[in-house]
Amino acid sequence: MPEASSLPRPPAAGRIKAALTVALFAALFVLAFRQTGFNFQALFSGTADFFRFFGRLVPDWSALPQIWPPLIQTIQIAYVATIVGSLLAMPIVFLASSNTSTDPVTLWIARTLLTVLRSIPDLLWAALFVAVLGLGALPGVVALVFFTMGVLAKLGSETVEAIDPGPLEALRAAGAGRNRTIVFAVVPQVAATMVSYILYVFEINVRASVVIGLVGAGGIGQLLLRYLNFFDYTGVAAIIVVIFAVVLLIDGFSVWARSKLI
Amino acid sequence: MVNAPRIPSDVPRPPAHVRRNRVLMIAGVVLLVALFVLALVTMNLPTWQRFVNGMQRNFWPLMRGLVRPETEVFGLAWRSMSETFFMAILGTALGALLAFPISFFAAGNLLGGTRWALPGKALLVAIRTFPELVLAIIFVAAAGPGPTAGIMAMGIHSIGYLGKVFSDVIEGIDQGPMEAIRAAGGNQLHTFLYSVVPQVLPEFASHVLYRFEINLRAATVLGMVGAGGIGLPLIQRLQFRRWDEVSMLLIVIVGFIIVVDAVSSRVRNRLV
Repeated sequence: MPEASSLPRPPAAGRIKAALTVALFAALFVLAFRQTGFNFQALFSGTADFFRFFGRLVPDWSALPQIWPPLIQTIQIAYVATIVGSLLAMPIVFLASSNTSTDPVTLWIARTLLTVLRSIPDLLWAALFVAVLGLGALPGVVALVFFTMGVLAKLGSETVEAIDPGPLEALRAAGAGRNRTIVFAVVPQVAATMVSYILYVFEINVRASVVIGLVGAGGIGQLLLRYLNFFDYTGVAAIIVVIFAVVLLIDGFSVWARSKLI
Repeated sequence: MVNAPRIPSDVPRPPAHVRRNRVLMIAGVVLLVALFVLALVTMNLPTWQRFVNGMQRNFWPLMRGLVRPETEVFGLAWRSMSETFFMAILGTALGALLAFPISFFAAGNLLGGTRWALPGKALLVAIRTFPELVLAIIFVAAAGPGPTAGIMAMGIHSIGYLGKVFSDVIEGIDQGPMEAIRAAGGNQLHTFLYSVVPQVLPEFASHVLYRFEINLRAATVLGMVGAGGIGLPLIQRLQFRRWDEVSMLLIVIVGFIIVVDAVSSRVRNRLV
């Protein structure tokens, strides 16, 4: 268009790059729609059914006595797994940090281990350990222990690598060994942050321990699955409301405790 | 020990508040340990014997399988993992598309006061708390099994996280450009298009990519309830304890996720 504009055109390189990015994304989406066979009709009919489903979710509070025991078990799974997982993560934290690790090979092994641990989602751990150990709370605890180790050791080693190197050098100069250096130079600097991360992981674990029951790993998820299978939507609604309240309560406590720490 | 002679020491006693904190900390640790023991006792965990039995019967075959995975299922694993990958792309895109408008109703600075943003924020918390897998079960019942149900579950669940971080980004923008456009005579739409959107877009893109990493992990398990992806072949082989085939699937999942994570985090670093 010959219209006079006071604005200069953007440079050619930028325009080509933008056009290429758009084309790349368009191709990716076309491919994605074909590969997954995404069904737009199902999207709309499914959405309608979905809202109809929510209409039927009227909580039946007489299910409460049945809900309490598995709910308490859910919180226990999250609690026990958080504690055991945190304890097991501690040595890995220091081995996976470049400033406290023993040697480059150990550092590499610890980091690779963490990358693999973190690439496996909580539910996959749960399904795996249900197959190994059978149904119940035990595979849930073991699954969340591994999950906790992956998350916490990663967050922890990032914190350890960001500490002030001064105290570390001072202790090394005074002739302290590796363990003493860690205890007296690193731990005081990272303790508060670590406790706050442990609380954060506990929050994640509470949410996770709700759903791992759906694959048979104990807790409230197992009861939820049973209600869903029997189309007992009033029971489902009661569980959802209770889960919602418990998660909010624990998140609230955790946020409050973390704000006190740092 | 009350009358024991005090040993002269160069180190002074710690001040009162430090000693009080130390007592509090010890009390806290005692409480944590007590709760831990109580949980272990009341949880009716199976006996140690069953744990050892399960490990012997299934764990060692799993480990052997990891060393020598069944190569015959590689084709299947690769195909279902790429389906999972594309599910995560569409689920994330759906979530971002839906979260974008909602996030503006959860940003206090655009609505003229924090309290007007409260309903939007409450809605986002409610969505976040609702477990993704339960959504997937509902959608499988509503739309039938297959990737579409999983994509919709991921899309809805992602709104909770994306809406929250989007609104946080919007609340943190620089007011200067907004005022400049208003001063130059721009209307509400101009202000939004030329001062809000350009400021938030790179950070939005970075958060969407991060959510994509999370959704890829989630998509690997959605198949366990029939919502498409690699979860279905995996849970079938887990139920029949075909450990060599399970390990092939696990290796493909872990490898795929590690590569995607590495690429995605590199792009995110360049974006922001």
